[in-house]
Amino acid sequence: MSPHIPSQLPLRIGLRDGATFANFFPGQNAPVCHTLQQGREPFVYLWGGVGSGKSHLLQAACHAVSEQGGTAIYLPLAEPEGLLPQMLEGMEQMSLVCVDDLQAIAGDQEWEQALFHLYNRLRDGGNRLIAAADAPPASLGLGLVDLLSRFGWGPVYQLQPPGDEEKSAALRLRAANRGMEMPPEVAAYLMSRAPRDMHALFALLERLDEISLAAQRKLTIPFVRELIQ
Amino acid sequence: MSIALWSQCLARLEDELSPQQYNTWIRPLQAEMVDNTLRLLSPNRFVQDWVTQRFRERIVEMLNQMSEAEPPQLVFEVGSIAPAVPQPAAAPAVPEPAPVTAAQLQQTMKKNSQQARTNPLFSFNNFVEGKSNQLARAASMQVAENPGTAYNPLFIYGGVGLGKTHLMHAVGNMIMERQPGAKVIYLHSERFVADMVKALQHNAINEFKRYYRSVDALLIDDIQFFAGKERSQEEFFHTFNALLEGQRQVILTCDRYPKEVNGLEERLKSRFGWGLTVAIEPPELETRVAILMSKAVQADVDLPHEVAFFIAKRIRSNIRELEGALRRVIANAHFTGRPITLDFAKEALRDLLALQAKLVTIENIQKTVAEYYKIRVADLLSKRRNRSIARPRQIAMALAKELTNHSLPEIGDAFGGRDHTTVMHACKKVVELKESDQMISEDYANLLRILTT
Repeated sequence: MSPHIPSQLPLRIGLRDGATFANFFPGQNAPVCHTLQQGREPFVYLWGGVGSGKSHLLQAACHAVSEQGGTAIYLPLAEPEGLLPQMLEGMEQMSLVCVDDLQAIAGDQEWEQALFHLYNRLRDGGNRLIAAADAPPASLGLGLVDLLSRFGWGPVYQLQPPGDEEKSAALRLRAANRGMEMPPEVAAYLMSRAPRDMHALFALLERLDEISLAAQRKLTIPFVRELIQ
Repeated sequence: MSIALWSQCLARLEDELSPQQYNTWIRPLQAEMVDNTLRLLSPNRFVQDWVTQRFRERIVEMLNQMSEAEPPQLVFEVGSIAPAVPQPAAAPAVPEPAPVTAAQLQQTMKKNSQQARTNPLFSFNNFVEGKSNQLARAASMQVAENPGTAYNPLFIYGGVGLGKTHLMHAVGNMIMERQPGAKVIYLHSERFVADMVKALQHNAINEFKRYYRSVDALLIDDIQFFAGKERSQEEFFHTFNALLEGQRQVILTCDRYPKEVNGLEERLKSRFGWGLTVAIEPPELETRVAILMSKAVQADVDLPHEVAFFIAKRIRSNIRELEGALRRVIANAHFTGRPITLDFAKEALRDLLALQAKLVTIENIQKTVAEYYKIRVADLLSKRRNRSIARPRQIAMALAKELTNHSLPEIGDAFGGRDHTTVMHACKKVVELKESDQMISEDYANLLRILTT
């Protein structure tokens, strides 16, 4: 594969789904979104299953802070490339630090202590931390109770997984933000035929976008049917 | 030359990289353009190395493409520009290999002292007193009124989130109030260690010593993190002695009784006992309610008593979680614009409470109690009636009544088919024992904490 995009394909500029609040369908998670958007809580903890929107919301919070002139960083702890605990040094100078997939380091003494100390330093400096994991703090298997109790200090939110209607609304919202019109019946069609986890749905949307743009066609059931068969 | 060029680069990078890569490596960078040099500042060396290795080439390429005139020089550094958000803790990091003069280090120390101040939000006035913290509060008050002479050191210990740090700050604040200009330093033990390591690296250990020995009161939080750090303990030992000799106040907190901290030198442990050692226990229900009411007043929120009671009854492990739950309710109230009622609170805390109900089962209680007393679960369910089995059994029953919604007959049944009157008797007995037997009272509190944290 060449890193250069051949000219006959549609330009990729502006097509990537931004991980922003505007691109997130809040549904039942509206109170969480509100809290995160307000940015007044110094510490927030989010938990939920795959596809519940944790990573999106964390990155959206980073984006929002940058927009306001602050500094922010997103740290995905489950990345195979493996971040080290030293990565947290000096992070207290960020206006917002977001740590994702906490479960990946639970039980690791070095990581837990590094996070605990970062937490204290952020607090001393008046900066913020948002943490996310696949389970609530008490079920993470943390060895350091000091860290555990700190995660319970701010509001702890369970992200409610989207139901079918919310998924289809989220899909249509993203389509609209990409400048595509996705009629409700097309969304419903996709929901009944395609894999229904959010990551797969958004990947499908990206493909649909590229192909419909290249083929100069609108999103209709016959067109979509052709593609997903 | 303006920073607009970097903004263009950012837009392009955002499009080329995955959102994750962008948010992890590019977003934290701060940019500064001076004399046609673009300085990209990373929060630490780790980020800087990564960005240099992976993205430097691409960024240079972009700058070359986008610059109309001479493309700027690109420089990567660790540090930060004056922060956009007020944050006293942001000291620009010192580039590691650069030699630091004693004068510079003194500067850093001075900066540190500005950061190492006590937090004025923690005072005696907003410390909610209860049976569980009465002694610690009284001792702290004494120390605040007679620093260096009442109890030195004052050693406060107890589980997480029970108010040790609050008390410590309150003492520091009061000392400064009564004696303006007093040099009161609060820091977490990690900072002491980090400062010392930095001083050693820069050959400035004497400045370090002078700085810490010149304070009027030294407040160090969570000293259990000194464990295993011998050089820090050594340094601290001498600082400690110097301060005590000069009648300067030392206050320390720890998550356990000093003698129980592994990896701490004996001579330190014994010195910690020279002054006064006081414990903070988990707050009882009335105090938890009072704490919630006080936090609600601070947040300027109308919290009905029954709601405070409801939250306090369910969240018992520590004050932080109590506060977390309250914050959650308040956030929902702000969001919906609805008043806080009992139903509203139940709804807002639904997932939190469901979780607790799910976690504490009779089975779980039996297992935990058996482990705690080093007996078998089968013993708890057996007919054996010698005290070493019967006491834990009674305690487990009392815990089951307190922590689950099972009926007494159900609880009796779960303990080897016993009658509900046996459960009633056990609960009554445990209440009595908690009053008369210090040991049982501590065991019960420990078990409660284990089961609900």
